[in-house]
Amino acid sequence: MSFLGYCCCRAGVTRGEIMWSELKQRLAEVLQTVAPLIGVVCLLQLVIVQAPAALFLQFLAGSVLIIAGMFLLFIGVDYGILPMGRFVGGELPRKGSVTLIVLVGFAMGFATTVAEPDVLVLASQVDEISRGSIDRVTVLSVMALGVGTFVALAMARIIYDISIRVLLTASLVAVIALSFVTPEKFVPMAYDSGSVTTGVLTTPVVIAIAVGLTSVLAGRSPVSDGFGLLGFASIGAIIAVMLMGIAMQ
Amino acid sequence: MNDISFVQEVADTARSVIMAVLPLAVLFAAFQVFLLDLPRKQIQSILIGTLLAATGLFLFLLGVGIGLLPFGRAIGAALGSAGEEWVLLSVGLFLGFVTTWGEPAVRILAGEVEDASNGSIRQSLVVIAICIGVSISVALGLLRIAYEISILYLLVPGYALAVALTWLSSKEFVAIAIDSGGVATGPLANTFLLALALGASASIGTQDPMVQGLGLVALIALAPIISVMLLGLLIRRKASAKE
Repeated sequence: MSFLGYCCCRAGVTRGEIMWSELKQRLAEVLQTVAPLIGVVCLLQLVIVQAPAALFLQFLAGSVLIIAGMFLLFIGVDYGILPMGRFVGGELPRKGSVTLIVLVGFAMGFATTVAEPDVLVLASQVDEISRGSIDRVTVLSVMALGVGTFVALAMARIIYDISIRVLLTASLVAVIALSFVTPEKFVPMAYDSGSVTTGVLTTPVVIAIAVGLTSVLAGRSPVSDGFGLLGFASIGAIIAVMLMGIAMQ
Repeated sequence: MNDISFVQEVADTARSVIMAVLPLAVLFAAFQVFLLDLPRKQIQSILIGTLLAATGLFLFLLGVGIGLLPFGRAIGAALGSAGEEWVLLSVGLFLGFVTTWGEPAVRILAGEVEDASNGSIRQSLVVIAICIGVSISVALGLLRIAYEISILYLLVPGYALAVALTWLSSKEFVAIAIDSGGVATGPLANTFLLALALGASASIGTQDPMVQGLGLVALIALAPIISVMLLGLLIRRKASAKE
């Protein structure tokens, strides 16, 4: 679907012609996406939970919002977010140097981490566990630094054509090794921090930039080189929090 | 939900959406000014699209906040007091699957995979592989809470298995797999499944519920990495069997 949107956008087809059938198809897709969850929850309500009617109605109202929201989100991602990422990714190697590309990777990782609301929640947890010896600003900057560094590394990997297996194995072995030396309180939090870096809007932009990058570099595969950045961003966050825990001892 | 907490929820959601859009907008504006110089029509459609996406994300997160989060807690508490392992296990399996099935970032990632591979890796296959991974990890995670097993006994072998699979899988599936781990822990999983684990551990486990809940998210991030690489191996085996 996103490909259709992209083609039409590129070919300059006026949006009115494709709008109706596409909107209908989108709505069907959203309903198909959310229906199983709503169905299972309704079943659980009947069989096990039996929550008060008000709470169940609240759930149903929330579901309506979720359907409407996802509908708009998917359309917006197709028309705005994905093309934005593709233009940026496609122009980067043409106009800029390797340094610039790596810097953009770092800036993306850093900025989206700082802006992610979940990171703030995590930062206050660290603040609490360390009894104030690591304040929120430190946690936030260390995590953003970790994510930025790993996104930059992953972008450099694409440019210099280093195998994804090597970089991934090295990163995961580091994570496993650090798990044993990091203070116990920090370990679950560190693993959890890997999940806070990949927001719903960041995901399509990062992928589109990387795919755009591979489309203009010679001999790169859009699949094996275009994906992976998000995963490395998560690993960067995990390693950053573990190192912070070790430094605290 | 009373009026004050509803207003608070709306304000919080609006703030997080603005914070999510801001860095992207700044980055794009800088590009447009210094490097891109796109025609006006394209800028317009990107702006409209971004605005639609932001509005959609706002409604979506609001729906999660007012509807799914409180109900997730209710399910967690009910399961905890039901107390039987087979109930926990089967509900975990089902909810893990359908929650991930509804996760928007999972759809977006899988759609991008289909586009980038020119349709050779189908969107639905990737989504199903991620869902199965999460489904198993949620069930394992809930059982872990019931039997009070340390999270490291699941995570360390899991990551070791992921490293081993990396060297058996094709590069394409290695790349898709590590991204899959990130998208599986989206807003639905983080609120719904986490609330479920917190509810269950508050009534079963004796350990700190916060620590237990955090461990579940780590498992959800790991499992799709393994299941997507296994999907890649399956596809390759099928292809070589045909030849």
